[in-house]
Amino acid sequence: MAGGSVFECKEYLFKVLVIGELGVGKTSIIKRYVHQLFSQHYRATIGVDFALKVINWDSKTLVRLQLWDIAGQERFGNMTRVYYKEAVGAFVVFDVTRGSTFEAVSKWKHDLDSKVKLANGNPIPSVLLANKCDQKKESSNNTALMDNFCKETGFLGWFETSAKDNINVDEAARFLVENILANDKGLPYEESNGDRIKLDQETVAAESKSGCC
Amino acid sequence: PKEPSRPALLHNLDFLQNLPFSACSLLARSLLLFPEREQRLRTAPHRKRKVRDVWCVMSGNYPGNVLQLIQTRGDLTLQIGLGRLYQAFGMVRSTLQKQQSLPVRPIIPLVARMSDQNASGAPPMTVREKSRLDKFKQLLASPNTDLEELRKHSWSGIPREVRPITWRLLSGYLPANKERRELVLKRKRDEYFGFIEQYYHSRTDEHYKDTYRQIHIDIPRTNPLIPLFQQPVVQEVFERILFIWAIRHPASGYVQGINDLVTPFFVVFLSEFVTEDVENFEVAALPLDTRRNIEADSFWCMSKLLDGIQDNYTFAQPGIQNKVKALEELVSRIDEDIHNHFKRYEVEYLQFAFRWMNNLLMRELPLRCTIRLWDTYQAEAEGFSHFHLYVCSAFLIEWRKEILSMVDFQGLLMLLQNLPTIHWGNEEVGLLLAEAYRLKYMFADAPSHYKR
Repeated sequence: MAGGSVFECKEYLFKVLVIGELGVGKTSIIKRYVHQLFSQHYRATIGVDFALKVINWDSKTLVRLQLWDIAGQERFGNMTRVYYKEAVGAFVVFDVTRGSTFEAVSKWKHDLDSKVKLANGNPIPSVLLANKCDQKKESSNNTALMDNFCKETGFLGWFETSAKDNINVDEAARFLVENILANDKGLPYEESNGDRIKLDQETVAAESKSGCC
Repeated sequence: PKEPSRPALLHNLDFLQNLPFSACSLLARSLLLFPEREQRLRTAPHRKRKVRDVWCVMSGNYPGNVLQLIQTRGDLTLQIGLGRLYQAFGMVRSTLQKQQSLPVRPIIPLVARMSDQNASGAPPMTVREKSRLDKFKQLLASPNTDLEELRKHSWSGIPREVRPITWRLLSGYLPANKERRELVLKRKRDEYFGFIEQYYHSRTDEHYKDTYRQIHIDIPRTNPLIPLFQQPVVQEVFERILFIWAIRHPASGYVQGINDLVTPFFVVFLSEFVTEDVENFEVAALPLDTRRNIEADSFWCMSKLLDGIQDNYTFAQPGIQNKVKALEELVSRIDEDIHNHFKRYEVEYLQFAFRWMNNLLMRELPLRCTIRLWDTYQAEAEGFSHFHLYVCSAFLIEWRKEILSMVDFQGLLMLLQNLPTIHWGNEEVGLLLAEAYRLKYMFADAPSHYKR
């Protein structure tokens, strides 16, 4: 293929949703991930909040993650469709100290799958986050149960996270992005000549800029 | 080749790049010695924004992600300029502290500061302010307060001293007839505490426990940066008000955002009993009766407000959907450039204006500004439900330059969700309202023929 040096830098922009019941720590997880900060008192998200995380994935890949922090109180009916549009990945978050927030996970997952799909019709990759694990009371081992739940509900996997103590937040994000990237590469139109067209366009784009990376 | 987008803030700080250290020290000295409000007045209009931005950056009052933008996207020279300024600030501050026995103004005074007219730091009243206050006092003392006249005077801001009673009157809670006021207050306050007695225990019932839990989660994170609202007695007041309102309005119930709407009433009614800074006041020190009166009055005035905008909070929030659409339609007529800019970068009004409508701009403005804004909203017919739309339009256009200089979706959204208003005061709100009034006058009821 032509223009070898151009391939050294590939940029992606991914829209990722963060959803789940009110007060489970969606905003905290995002602030931890993007700003390396934690506060006990973020104000309740109204509508949707935006954050951007730029990841130097590897020497050849730059990933921009556009994080959409969706309000936990579902009052807007079908209008959340506007927020879900064109998302390519999602975190569904619950609070390990409040069982009801776990019970609502299936509802959120179903809502997600019914409102947004990948170009090939598959559900978008999603990861389940069991947040506030620093406050977990007993160290009950329910790994097998959770694995099974994820399989049944269609999650790629799950992580016990703590935005407060910075546990597993980066790991969960990395795991989701890996899957989004795999999806992106795995799409049929990109493997055949679609890929070629895309690369050519990138070459043009790269040349018109002052420099890539 | 296109330049990467630079937030407007960086343009305002550009002059730092060539500023020698001695000039940095001078700037730091003047900013530290003169509180920001005076500083604004002493600065020529075209330099206002620059000085404000310097002050905000130095005092840490820009939202984190804007600071991050400076760090990651600012030019190296600009970063050096900022570094010099930080250094100058540190040096000047420590010298001032050594020189003077009086404490230098704390470096982050603005996050929580509620009123421009603190009892302690208030400048002496001007002749004009004095005569305004007298006019209010005269209206309020008359046996039948002329509400029309009271509205007229309130539009441009209510003096702090008479704000509590004026708000009670304008919201329709207190009767214009002076003789009846005491009786009505007593009856309404008793009625509220009757509700509490009758219903508050039901918060643990199966039917209501979700509502209560949502309120309970939201209260600690209402105004999280203001110490007043972290006091358990205050949080309990908010929980009671919101729970009772929610169960009495089953069509909407508790909707996130309503919690914010209690705050201005509570602060204004509390301010009647506080001479120092309200934000640090220990509410438990007040007599129980006083606290109960503040609570009941806040409940009723908030109820009156919500009566006028209830369709904002019923299922699917139709009021908000309509208002966001109306905002879009209005902006498309008022400022085509902004409208097209949003289209081009696929920014949808809902993504930022939902919160503007749902929380009546309370999330976008410091609390002291909301209180001033509500003087006008209560003075204007359909202030909260209709005039607010024009205020939102004016507010959006206020950031025209910043918006148009931002050329990607992320940048635009992060700008629109973190507009730097932390240093705003009465002056800015006054200008915003004047502009909103102009827009209303020009564009209300004049749809298509104004369309270009």
